[in-house]
Amino acid sequence: MTKNSDANINFVGRTIRTTGIVLLVFLPFGFYYLGTFHALAIFSGGVWGIINLIFLSAMVRAAVRPDGADTRRVASVGLIKFPLLYLAGYFLLKVPQFDALFLLIGFSSLIAIMVLKSLGRLLLGLDIGKNGEHMQKAI
Amino acid sequence: MDYQTMLAWALPVGVGMAAIGSALGLGRAVGSAMEAIGRQPEAAGKIQTAMIIGAALIEALTIYALVVFFILQGKIGG
Repeated sequence: MTKNSDANINFVGRTIRTTGIVLLVFLPFGFYYLGTFHALAIFSGGVWGIINLIFLSAMVRAAVRPDGADTRRVASVGLIKFPLLYLAGYFLLKVPQFDALFLLIGFSSLIAIMVLKSLGRLLLGLDIGKNGEHMQKAI
Repeated sequence: MDYQTMLAWALPVGVGMAAIGSALGLGRAVGSAMEAIGRQPEAAGKIQTAMIIGAALIEALTIYALVVFFILQGKIGG
């Protein structure tokens, strides 16, 4: 596997790390400018989104494989993700101090970072191989 | 039909439509990914990454619909 494709596989991991750093950097500013509960709502929404993406990527990696799906792993990740994580999200929405809009902003930060990172890769040409083939063509 | 009755009808229908849309989208994405891996097993890593990004975006849209449901649910009075 080439260095370029290694970087490609780690894209999700790096997105998660960047989102975590952005949320941590944002937190003190959020406390100061938005207030404690709005800042905590954004942080909680972002952390929920990160955990969701971790479970989603684990599930996809276990299910979409050349040598067949690892059903036991898919089932165990699914059993944690769907009842427990979604229940946690429901309780986050039901916290009276947390505004749903700010939870959504936190959750969307992950998507925004993912889009910006993809845009950066596209503009810098990081997914173009030695022979000029594009990732889309490789797929 | 007043505003609240219409909202009470529209909310579950809207969430149901979002769920159907994302289920169709995810189904197509997984199907295409499996087909692509079958054709080019060496590109599995790239396909998985693209699949994870696509699945995350599709799932996010459904979660948005669900959150809008919970926000508007409070506006349906008894």
